Amino acid sequence: MPSLTRRQLLHTATAIAAGMVLPGCGWTLGEVRPALSKGNKDELSLFTWESYIDPLLTETFHTQTGINVTADIYDSNETMLATFQSGKGAIYSVIYPSDYKVAEMIDKKLLKPLDHSRINGMENLMPEFQNSVYDPANRHSVPISWGTTGFIYNTAALNPGPEDWEDLWRLQAQLNRKMTLLADVREVMGATLKSLGHSYNATDPTEIRQAYQKLVQLKPAVTTFTTDAWRDRLLAGDLILSMAYSADAVRLIQENPDAKLRYVIPASGTSLWSDTMVIPVTAPNPDAAYEWINFMMQPSVAVGVTSRLFFATPNQAAFDQLPAPLRNNGSLFPPESVIQACERIIPLDPKVMELYDQYWTKLTSG
Amino acid sequence: MNSTSNRPLSWPWLSLIAIGLFGFMYFPILVLAFYSFNDSKYSTGWKGFTWKWYVAFLNDSRILTALANSLIVAFFAVGIAAVVGTLMAVGLARYRFPGKQVYQGTAYLPLIIPDIAIAVATLVFLAAIAIPVSGGLIQLSLGTVISAHVVFCLSYVAIVVSTRINDLNPHLEEAALDLGATPTQAFMQVLLPELMPAIVSGCLLAFVLSLDDFLIASFTAGGGSSTLPMEIFSRIRTGVKPDINALSVVLILSTGFLFAIAEYLRYRSERKRFS
Amino acid sequence: MVSPASPLPSTTEPKAPPQWLQPLLMLAPAGVWLALLLVLPTLLIFQLSLVPGIRPGQVVNPSGLDNYWRIVQPDYFPVLTRSLFFSIGTTIACLVLGFPIAYWIALKVPKRWQNLVLLAFVLPLWTSSLLRTYAWITILRPTGVLNSILGKVGMPPLDLLNREPAVLIGMTYSLLPYMVLILYAALEKLDRRLLEAAADLGANPAQTFWRVTVPQSLTGIAAGSLLVFITSMGDFVNPEILGGASSMTVARLIYNQFLGATQNWGFGSALSMVLILVVSIAIALLLKYGDRSAAGGV
Repeated sequence: MPSLTRRQLLHTATAIAAGMVLPGCGWTLGEVRPALSKGNKDELSLFTWESYIDPLLTETFHTQTGINVTADIYDSNETMLATFQSGKGAIYSVIYPSDYKVAEMIDKKLLKPLDHSRINGMENLMPEFQNSVYDPANRHSVPISWGTTGFIYNTAALNPGPEDWEDLWRLQAQLNRKMTLLADVREVMGATLKSLGHSYNATDPTEIRQAYQKLVQLKPAVTTFTTDAWRDRLLAGDLILSMAYSADAVRLIQENPDAKLRYVIPASGTSLWSDTMVIPVTAPNPDAAYEWINFMMQPSVAVGVTSRLFFATPNQAAFDQLPAPLRNNGSLFPPESVIQACERIIPLDPKVMELYDQYWTKLTSG
Repeated sequence: MNSTSNRPLSWPWLSLIAIGLFGFMYFPILVLAFYSFNDSKYSTGWKGFTWKWYVAFLNDSRILTALANSLIVAFFAVGIAAVVGTLMAVGLARYRFPGKQVYQGTAYLPLIIPDIAIAVATLVFLAAIAIPVSGGLIQLSLGTVISAHVVFCLSYVAIVVSTRINDLNPHLEEAALDLGATPTQAFMQVLLPELMPAIVSGCLLAFVLSLDDFLIASFTAGGGSSTLPMEIFSRIRTGVKPDINALSVVLILSTGFLFAIAEYLRYRSERKRFS
Repeated sequence: MVSPASPLPSTTEPKAPPQWLQPLLMLAPAGVWLALLLVLPTLLIFQLSLVPGIRPGQVVNPSGLDNYWRIVQPDYFPVLTRSLFFSIGTTIACLVLGFPIAYWIALKVPKRWQNLVLLAFVLPLWTSSLLRTYAWITILRPTGVLNSILGKVGMPPLDLLNREPAVLIGMTYSLLPYMVLILYAALEKLDRRLLEAAADLGANPAQTFWRVTVPQSLTGIAAGSLLVFITSMGDFVNPEILGGASSMTVARLIYNQFLGATQNWGFGSALSMVLILVVSIAIALLLKYGDRSAAGGV
């Protein structure tokens, strides 16, 4: 009877549906998979920071190689990894994670080992970038820029200005609802840990809790957590101070010489970061990725981006060609004594990281 | 206005509120338009007239690509939803079957479940089942945005069409069948023309909602296939230049224009029907 | 639970295949689409919501209600109450602002102009909602349009952006047109003779309003409020763009668990389930309330 068959069919369908939905335990959620169709040879997709890409760069690359570049933007390493792992990442052939995220991505087997014979000019890198702690012998990553985390503030509105992390709390009344912090767990928590005299990478639960409690005090004064959206508001006078990366801060200062802005590297030390170029295992177009890396490694290109986008190059050959004022810019290339006080953000044990995440969510939820 | 003596709320007072609220609705749009001609990146004050933001926006390949992506998504999603949704509405009106209640309830669920929940669920489904089961053949892309948009477009088309079906003369199709038309003929030549205005207005609504959707698109779009709302959102997050203002003025004028045409067509067809 | 994966119609008496083929052709495409992209995903996030701390690349191992338990902890509970506060506030604001304008259009504007005036009012709806929200940044920021106007008339500046007021303004602005459309539909059907009768019987305008107009349009009020409540509950764009460091809402929190800083798909799924639950409760209340008003009202 048709009705019986239908009933059976219905049962089978439900069973299949249930079987798919409820395999019980043991299935793995959302592994990143390479796209089956290989990417177009003339297309290259990047996943990068807002300030690392501009039309001139992609156009020059296009005229040199004939490859079209499209770029998507992220505003923190965590967002980048979340987006990449959610399945949106299969299109990218080059990503720009920071040091500690490189280590984490290597650990998660998300990165392709680099074929150094296909990369020109690795020897041009400054000695300290030849063999990084987060990626020994640069097997998976090529450093592209480095810098510090600090704050940029309006000297007309705040004088004397802050010199150290602790001053944010001291000047809280003046800065009330006129400051922003980065939308980045590790940077914000790290800075607070530093202000308490701990390491930027503290793993002790008590220290982490102390930092959280200290941040809770500061929070009413914080307008918002943002990595990029402070620029025009700082210029317009809506904000007095923003926690920012040196590359972004220096660029804003250079592009707006009239605005009375100053970038400060906190005296007690801050995070020293380097951003890198990596090729994910899922890269649809690794050949173009190598082309891009080689392009960015050209000293002339590195000089161009450093003097236009203001991110400090780790490329010695390029550094030597920089105009003197830029080379001597202490915000961009801080002296050794300043660097000594800084720390690199390092990957943390998942258990500790979960603690960071929990406090961060608590902080931003309260 | 024959009953001015019995006004429960007096005229001038209410009119003032009404005018104020019209101002509230249009103020932000006027502000956007104003600053799209202002020759300054940050200033609140007027710094002189300029077209440069319009030039900048028209030369911005990212925005134009995103706009094209949005139009592709809306076009295909609404196209599929128009066919599938209309069939569903007619089917639901015509047949009874066990589980119809559940089917019907599910069909209109996208109208009430918050977008964020739909977006999250679709992403999880894609990441946990569709991508692995297809062995990577399915990837987050414009295609996945389209299939996610079909879900809510379908509901909107169906609800508008089914309202129209309820107003129709149920004997019309039967008459056609009695006169020897095949069911397909009856459907295509009798029912469909009657439903056309409803299908068109349902599609229009779905089209606008699809163009405007940020959440579902941002959870289901792959890298490099941003839709316009995603691109705008990313710019608001990273700091905007007034070329976004220029874009909004162009968008407002063109949607307003499209809308006026659609309204005019509807008005004309209604007049034809009733005259 | 039986998912309507293949909605197989049953004909009451056995007939030739074409008899059930047609309904199948009509209902199956939509049914399959909905089952695959709506029902199945919802079941899936329910399963995921039972897995604490899951993120992509990890093994799914449902182990209880930890994620739900976490939501009601004092750490996250403020998010839920803040979302409710925004939704209820927006609903009230839309009702208070929407009623006069809907009333004005339905009862004071000449009949042949009504459609046009209504359209003009809801026209901003047809522009990008993100851009309209963005416009409010320009208006509300400390050195923005509003404060320069206030300064010109000698009033102190207001600090609204990145705080609750901006979010409420943004949400109200986004949702007011919907409320007006629904209220207008209800008020337009209002029996004017009842208003006249009330006045003839000596009721003052306030009495007429509360005793006649409001009860008559109760269904519209309820439907409009429900729509605004539901939509604002799931609103992400306004709190994200206009809110600040202290305006986390459920929708923002969910977003952050998936595409934001803290990857926790299990917690995000649990929050989504709670959101769906809150919305369902609102609808259930309306249905119950709606029935009573339909039975006892008119």
